[in-house]
Amino acid sequence: MKFVGRRALRAAAAGVAATLVIAGCSGQALEGGGDSEGGEGQITLKVNFFGDMGQEMIKERFEKANPNIKIALNSAEFNAHHEDLQKKLVAGSGAPDVAAVDEGFMVGLKNQADNFVNLLDHGLGSAESRYLPWKWKGSMSADGKQIGLGTDVGGLAMCYRTDLFKAAGLPTERDQVSALWPTWDAFIETGKKYTETSKKKFIDSGTNLFNPVLAQQPVGFYNEQEQLQMEGGPKVAFDVSMKAIDAGISANLVSFQPGWNQGFTGDKFAVLACPAWMLGHIQQTAPGTKGKWDIAAIPGGGGNWGGSWWTVPAQTKHAEAAAKFVDFATQPEQQIEVFKTVGNLPSQPALYKDPAVLDFKHEFMSNAPTGQIFAKTAESLQPQYLGKKNGKTRESVERVITQVQEGKLTTSDAWPKAVEEAGKAASS
Amino acid sequence: MSVVTSRAPQDTRGTWKTYLSLSVALLLSAFPLYWMFVIATSTDAALGKYPPVLIPSDQFMVNLREVFTLQNVYFAASLINSVIVATVVTASTLFFCSLAGFAFAKLRFKGRNPLMFVVILTLTVPNQLGVVALYILMGKLQWNGTLIAVIAPGLVSAFGVFYMRQFIDHAVPGELVEASRIDGASTMRVYWSIVLPAIRPALAVLGLLTFVATWNEFQWPLITLGGTEYPTSMVALSDLASGNFVIYRRVLAGAFVATVPLLLLLVLGGRQIVRGIMEGAVK
Amino acid sequence: MSLTQLRPAPPSPQRPTASAGKATLWWHRFDTRTVPYLLIAPFFVLFAIFGLFPLIFNAVVSLRHWRLDDADKTGWAGAENYSRLLTDADFWNALFNTFGIFILSTVPQLVLALLIANLLNHRLRGTTFWRVAVLLPYVTPVAASTLLFAMFFQTDSGMANWFLSLVGFGEENPLNWRAEKWSSWIAIATMVNWKWIGYNALLYLSAMQAIPRDVYEAAAVDGAGPQRQLWQITVPMIQPVVIFTVVLSTIGGLQLFNEPMLFDENPALANGGSDHQWQTIAQLIYQVGWRDYNLGYAAAMSWALFLIILVVAAINALLTRRFGGGR
Repeated sequence: MKFVGRRALRAAAAGVAATLVIAGCSGQALEGGGDSEGGEGQITLKVNFFGDMGQEMIKERFEKANPNIKIALNSAEFNAHHEDLQKKLVAGSGAPDVAAVDEGFMVGLKNQADNFVNLLDHGLGSAESRYLPWKWKGSMSADGKQIGLGTDVGGLAMCYRTDLFKAAGLPTERDQVSALWPTWDAFIETGKKYTETSKKKFIDSGTNLFNPVLAQQPVGFYNEQEQLQMEGGPKVAFDVSMKAIDAGISANLVSFQPGWNQGFTGDKFAVLACPAWMLGHIQQTAPGTKGKWDIAAIPGGGGNWGGSWWTVPAQTKHAEAAAKFVDFATQPEQQIEVFKTVGNLPSQPALYKDPAVLDFKHEFMSNAPTGQIFAKTAESLQPQYLGKKNGKTRESVERVITQVQEGKLTTSDAWPKAVEEAGKAASS
Repeated sequence: MSVVTSRAPQDTRGTWKTYLSLSVALLLSAFPLYWMFVIATSTDAALGKYPPVLIPSDQFMVNLREVFTLQNVYFAASLINSVIVATVVTASTLFFCSLAGFAFAKLRFKGRNPLMFVVILTLTVPNQLGVVALYILMGKLQWNGTLIAVIAPGLVSAFGVFYMRQFIDHAVPGELVEASRIDGASTMRVYWSIVLPAIRPALAVLGLLTFVATWNEFQWPLITLGGTEYPTSMVALSDLASGNFVIYRRVLAGAFVATVPLLLLLVLGGRQIVRGIMEGAVK
Repeated sequence: MSLTQLRPAPPSPQRPTASAGKATLWWHRFDTRTVPYLLIAPFFVLFAIFGLFPLIFNAVVSLRHWRLDDADKTGWAGAENYSRLLTDADFWNALFNTFGIFILSTVPQLVLALLIANLLNHRLRGTTFWRVAVLLPYVTPVAASTLLFAMFFQTDSGMANWFLSLVGFGEENPLNWRAEKWSSWIAIATMVNWKWIGYNALLYLSAMQAIPRDVYEAAAVDGAGPQRQLWQITVPMIQPVVIFTVVLSTIGGLQLFNEPMLFDENPALANGGSDHQWQTIAQLIYQVGWRDYNLGYAAAMSWALFLIILVVAAINALLTRRFGGGR
């Protein structure tokens, strides 16, 4: 038996106890937490986020301005990120120093405002004047605690592929394209024409019609009394997506999953409902499509889909520094830079008039003036109340749409199933 | 094919058919690993091709660099974490299980047989089913999200005790133990100078099996370490495959890297692992 | 498997001579009476804390309201979690999936393992090489291999569909493996089979090599060829090991988690498909506990699964006695 030498073995046996002791003592290294101290007065802030929020640029600038604070970034899948945060808030440990929160999960979290640092206690009340009023209120608890500062809003537009449109004999100019689809019905008709000529699918998936249409409704899944309202807005949105699937214009992909990402490069679809934050996703997923995208108006007009806040969980040991980071990240300079590089539209109306935003041309998107396009939709936004279980409910209904796309459900049987699944999510 | 045979199969030479069939089996076991490498070396464009590519390309370093520099997935750290966890768990399992195995095999004490029976009983307990309570327990100890949460439940194994007892029973002559006791050697002395040298092969086997099993553990690490900056490599892999920007060549480059240590172990200690399994090793 | 072979204790060492001092005597008593317990204590203590306690505490949790998103919702729930289980369509669906995948993965796994073991049970050049080679899948991390298979079973550019198209299936409409129960079950069972065939083959091989040679010699009178030799002599002789591997696969298969989890294109959701078409119980426990934050209900599911495993294992034990006892 040559595998373990006698000497090595003894050393190993003797080392076990030592190893265990070391493992115990270096608990710091093993346990971590957000407060590893390195050097004098040096602190590290753990910042959790999802998607692309311009975090790298903010980190770089913030560390430069605050040499004693290091930023550790940590991203996760959208749903997992929020669920994990919730879990750790209640567990009482493990939460980051700063956490991004999407609107779909904000209502649930601001009902537990005690789990967050009240930013008003850190002198950030003055930030109110920077914000769209509904965005400021969106993260404020019923008893007046401000748990987050807004980053972006998800004003809606419709991204389309100029090269594919041209090949199918459709117009490619922004205004002409917008004129093609004043309504969702007209949009689906355009899709049929496109699919007929090109033999390709028009939209990526039914869920990416459902979400923007739902966002345009006055009431979403829940009313302000937290009652599930499936027969209102959700029904309208669901019908539009079913109609599109029936029309055969959907590539039937599943958003934010590998097949969908490959669809970008494989020309599997020609349009994509675009909240401002989607631009970042397109650039990262399909760098090769640079210059082939442009942006037109969304059918039905207006609507908000997504948009986030930076929050500070109350568990942090560095509330002051974390609040400083949140303040820094939401300063106009940073928000403008995020807008230019990623695409996320700031939630601060003054910036909509700022030349840096107004005159900005998005190179990747065929030099579309994204500032003008999205700012116009953002100012006319009618915010929708999103219930505590909004995130989970949306995911459940999206799964029903996916079932239709997989051919397991007919479009007529789908609605009762969606109601059932949403009900389950509401009571989970 | 009715060759009348009186020989036991193990005395029969393998024919070309035997080798051919075994080669097919080998191909099927190895192909996924090969293909993993192919994807790990490819570009996105190559992966979009249909029929699929079957020949490795030259992008391995590029993909690897992407995996390791991906902020937020902590891939490099995850490999180190996995090494720490698997090493500590293996060392501790070997130490504690050989001690207990020695006591059960060679020492006389009240309740020995009932206690050994309890060990065997615990072998059959599917401990995955305690995860909910384990999570609550680790929460109370403030260990969730730390490597300790993954290490602690693996420090001992019932199988290890059982395996060590069986081995020591056969491999260490009782007279030798007695003789040295009469010479005045203490129990620990006997363990150190008689038992340990005699059970090296068993330690190698148990060590390898434990290391492989610990490295590959996924469910509990995912629950306790998911979403932290201290993932094990399996959790980091799952992070690579979740999220909004799943890029297969990247995911599989990561998967390949996480597999290499175990392939090395198989090459170096394959004989021992085979032996361990054939001697009745259970998962 | 000599699981219950407990040998009698070896004779205790002789007592030291009467001339030994008091301290020596004390030390001797300590060394023979107490030290053995100290040696086995770490195992029992650690197992009690991290193995046994969670299992028992799980039962307590399952009788309570215990949520991760609302610390105020607490208190005894009585049998509420269990009665909810009985009417929960998701639970029954997951149970159905678990058993379906279990059967699809166990039967081919054990049959192929037998065939490979039979191949290995020859005088071969490079014995060790072949034995080690069949273990490649066993040492491959399940997360790594499953992610690879997830790509293998992709709809548009997956290799599985390419193979199918070579024999003329689905060239126009490639199969969406994740869409239906049957196809997703096959895909997952393939992963499980791939991983465990070699391992089981080695278990069978060791049993085959323990068969006395004269059994084969006696059978030569009947004129048995290699095939009949395998099915009429070898397999019946190793039946106890076969049953043992069935029990092992039962315990493993009913807790199946990794493969179905990572087969999902978005593993973080633990959905097991758009309509939970391949969601297993272990996955549902994860989803209910850590995505819906309902630990009490998840604990109840764990206990239900535990009981199911006990029942299935008991059935297997009965089979073992019936078939194994005939020898």
